[in-house]
Amino acid sequence: MEAISGSLALIGYGLAAIGPGIGIGIIAGNAVQAMARQPEAAGMVRTTMFLGIAFTEALALIGFVLFFLA
Amino acid sequence: MEQLILAAEECDLVENSVCAPANVTELFEFRTPIFEILGFPVTRAVVVIFIVAAVVVALLFFGLRKKAVQPGKFQAAMEGLIGFIRDEVAVGIIGPDGIRYFPYLLSLFLFILVANSFEIMPFINFPITSRMAIPLFLALLTYVIFIAAGLRRQGFRYIGDILWPPGVPVGLKPLVGIIEFFSIFFVRPFSLAVRLFANLVAGHVMLSILLVTGLVSFLSIGDIGLLKSAFGIAWWLLGMGIYMFEVIVILLQAYIFTLLSAVYIETSLHPQH
Repeated sequence: MEAISGSLALIGYGLAAIGPGIGIGIIAGNAVQAMARQPEAAGMVRTTMFLGIAFTEALALIGFVLFFLA
Repeated sequence: MEQLILAAEECDLVENSVCAPANVTELFEFRTPIFEILGFPVTRAVVVIFIVAAVVVALLFFGLRKKAVQPGKFQAAMEGLIGFIRDEVAVGIIGPDGIRYFPYLLSLFLFILVANSFEIMPFINFPITSRMAIPLFLALLTYVIFIAAGLRRQGFRYIGDILWPPGVPVGLKPLVGIIEFFSIFFVRPFSLAVRLFANLVAGHVMLSILLVTGLVSFLSIGDIGLLKSAFGIAWWLLGMGIYMFEVIVILLQAYIFTLLSAVYIETSLHPQH
């Protein structure tokens, strides 16, 4: 049987992307729901959504950088 | 362009299915200086930084030169952009006293927007924000500004306020203090810089690899056979789709960097919430 070869960092980045992926999905889904229920609050919801996405995304991006460092 | 040609020359589609450079940093490093000033070599990255600065100045100068009551298209666009940063970001996030930080936020936004948009600009094709020096410097600028704003507004009480939010039980204070200290003084500037950097690096790598693969497989259609080159042209189409997607990324990253800078300044000015 052939040994598996490749970069372990690639797997690490894949694992790092799972959590933020789920998190961003939840944030965007709830933001859409909030905007549909209260269209007049859409501007505020959008700003808060981008903020939440930016904070959640940071984990995936740290994984991305570690992928280059490793 | 330069790196596209480099990648295309080394590409061998007979063995590989995608033209990837052997080392990714080749896409971001320009070792050959274009010219020298007083012994300092000026590479392509430096030239692009100065082009970005010149474009930002030109946008503001020509956009706001006439101040017509009935604005033309360009003036209306610039006024919309500036008004958006002032009303939604500076005053909207920070509050009425945010107007003091509006010039900083506007220049931050315009610089990052123009620098990012060079990613998809034909003949330049290189986002200067994908070199860590630029995002890191901008993030450190925000870092210094938000700490200075807090110290100026509240004196040294600011450090205590920001480390221990109101209502923390005494037993938890050491733990909360350590976590907050780490998150505010290390993770904030780091994640601010890395977010911009990583998005642009990812976009640049994707675009280079996909578009070069498509181009090379179109040019070497005789060597690799019709089926494989059709496969390569599918890569090119995917690359063009991502090209459109990058337009959104460019706008969004400039906006998020400015927005987070405003949020950090706001937490320094009003720490109770």
